[in-house]
Amino acid sequence: MADASLAAVAQPAQCDPDAAQRARRQPLAGRRYALEIRQHMGWQRQALILAIAFLVGLAISAAILVAAGVPADELANEFVMQTFFDGQNFRAVLFQAAPMILVGLAGSLAFRARFWNLGLEGQMVWGAIGATAVSMWQVGPETLRLPLMFAAAIGCGLAWVLGPAWLKIRLGVNEIISTLMLNYMAANFLLHLVYGSWKDPKDNFPYSPQFRAFERLPELGAGVSSAILLAAVVALLAWWLVGVSRAGLYLRFVDANPRVAHANGVPVRRTIYGAVLLSGAMAGLAGFAVASGQEGRLTQAFYQGYGFSGILIAFLARNNPLAATVVALLVAALFVTGRSLQVFYQVPFSMVQLIQAIIVVCVAASDFFIRHRLRRVGAEAAS
Amino acid sequence: MSGSIVLNWLASTPDFAVPYALAALGLIISERAGVLSLGAEGLMLVGALAGIGAQLAFGQPAVSLVLAMLAASAVSLLFAVMVIWLRVNQVIAGLALVFFCQGLTALVGSLAEWTNHATNGIGGMALWPLSLLPGVGRLFEQNAMVWLTLPIFAAVAWFFSRTSAGLRLRAVGENPQAADAAGLRVALWRLAAVLAGAALVGLAGAYISVVSTKLWIAGMTGGRGWIAVGLVIFARWSPWKALVGALLFGCIEALIPQLAAAGVQLPQYFVMMTPYAVTLGVMVWVALARRGGDDEPGALGQPYVREERR
Repeated sequence: MADASLAAVAQPAQCDPDAAQRARRQPLAGRRYALEIRQHMGWQRQALILAIAFLVGLAISAAILVAAGVPADELANEFVMQTFFDGQNFRAVLFQAAPMILVGLAGSLAFRARFWNLGLEGQMVWGAIGATAVSMWQVGPETLRLPLMFAAAIGCGLAWVLGPAWLKIRLGVNEIISTLMLNYMAANFLLHLVYGSWKDPKDNFPYSPQFRAFERLPELGAGVSSAILLAAVVALLAWWLVGVSRAGLYLRFVDANPRVAHANGVPVRRTIYGAVLLSGAMAGLAGFAVASGQEGRLTQAFYQGYGFSGILIAFLARNNPLAATVVALLVAALFVTGRSLQVFYQVPFSMVQLIQAIIVVCVAASDFFIRHRLRRVGAEAAS
Repeated sequence: MSGSIVLNWLASTPDFAVPYALAALGLIISERAGVLSLGAEGLMLVGALAGIGAQLAFGQPAVSLVLAMLAASAVSLLFAVMVIWLRVNQVIAGLALVFFCQGLTALVGSLAEWTNHATNGIGGMALWPLSLLPGVGRLFEQNAMVWLTLPIFAAVAWFFSRTSAGLRLRAVGENPQAADAAGLRVALWRLAAVLAGAALVGLAGAYISVVSTKLWIAGMTGGRGWIAVGLVIFARWSPWKALVGALLFGCIEALIPQLAAAGVQLPQYFVMMTPYAVTLGVMVWVALARRGGDDEPGALGQPYVREERR
């Protein structure tokens, strides 16, 4: 963090040259610093501070990994070379990225409407349950099965966020608590299904029967699943929605100031509902991408970690859909690396969560240096 | 027969209620000073892990509980620096704290191999004259922490309503500008409140691991920290109401094993949903019953910035 503070303070911006002179003559201990809110900072400087924060986070993470027993000289190799420049591993990253992009988009859309949708995991679970229900009950002909599963996942994810959205908008119920409670309920319902009536009769493990071939997202070729294509299309749609469409403009209005937006004739409630419900739908799609694109069935813990990653992606990408796609790829790479570290160095997978949290802390803290600056003032000036 | 089930149920309620009560009390302290503490779930995990680690090392429950409080306070220092001095959005910082603690505790727990190692807990302690009552006497045989919780609550309630320090702390949370003008160091008061609150939340976590289950499993708090956050809203930031709410949740959680023992056939996973469903219901009830007067600390969740353009 020290580097970031230097970068933020480097620019001398005293308005009074005499004060600067006086301050320079002060002994070090007598100097005072005033904290000011920075009105504006160029994007290059912002990007620099963000990059420094990110690097500090990575450095702390690397130190923890070394402490946990990963040889230091292997780290760069594991993280960068193996993950991005090895064909098989890169396919694994893309494989992992599809649901990651979808939850990241889901998070950013809800946060744009100032709705803390922490229920991404619950909506994902319901999306997967909806898709699996279509498969279990064999709804529709074979050719229509996949689109029906797709639609069911969207519908279920959307339905699971409808309650918290309504409670928040109509009654002012805190959505952080309500969406989290619904996560725990969805997770228990999932267990009820996979340990109960939906358990695979073939081998008695807690998962649903395998999907048939036409119920799985097809391969594009070269081992790449079409789930990533789905995620890319959704990302483009989200970019169009928030960047180009009228609804995106409304969203920016509502985010900036709901009351002024209302006074200007923006349909505030409908905009918030729309963003939040779409967020749930995207999280539901992420569940579909895991169930139909990765596992090929409903499993008991597939959703774990996605909720936090979705929030992290949205936060790091500043709720921008295209940036979220890039960040989601990086987080997916972290997941893939985490799994290989688990196999080769017995590092617990929870390390991945810790690294994500450290990076969030560093980037959140760096925001301070973007929004404030320290200005040195003389002791007389301060008193 | 049914009478003994009710008695068993009531006798086991305090054991389930104590973590909720202590966590909610810790949250009240920090939120009364204006710092929104969403990190309770994470700090409970830190307390639970530190408690079991100390218990495996020293075997002294009192030492373990104190060390757990210190550990949670130490971790919350990170949160305090973020929200008080770096002015990070308190929701973001709280969430980051939870995820940081989840990752950290799961990592340390498995690297140190503390998972699933049973320890000796603390024994029962009968509250003397009452425990001799026929029939209901069993209700008064609880572990020492249950009895200790009551004076802790009384002390905090007394602190808030009867001491000048308590008044200052509330002033900092209610109107930091006025408190600052009156000469209070807002940042330091908030720091003290966050650290003290985190200690109680850590104690709640350590109670779960050291006293109740007597072992560590990653993520063992299972959302109790979040329920405590909801409980504080339900209690309108009042310690005694939080104690009542905690007893309510303790009753519900204690009912689950009693019903199973009585042979009532219920779908297991639906039963496990009840604490979360009740929390949701309570939140809705609070929203519906909210009257004109609002007891929420006025500056809750807002960083204090002195004399600055905003």
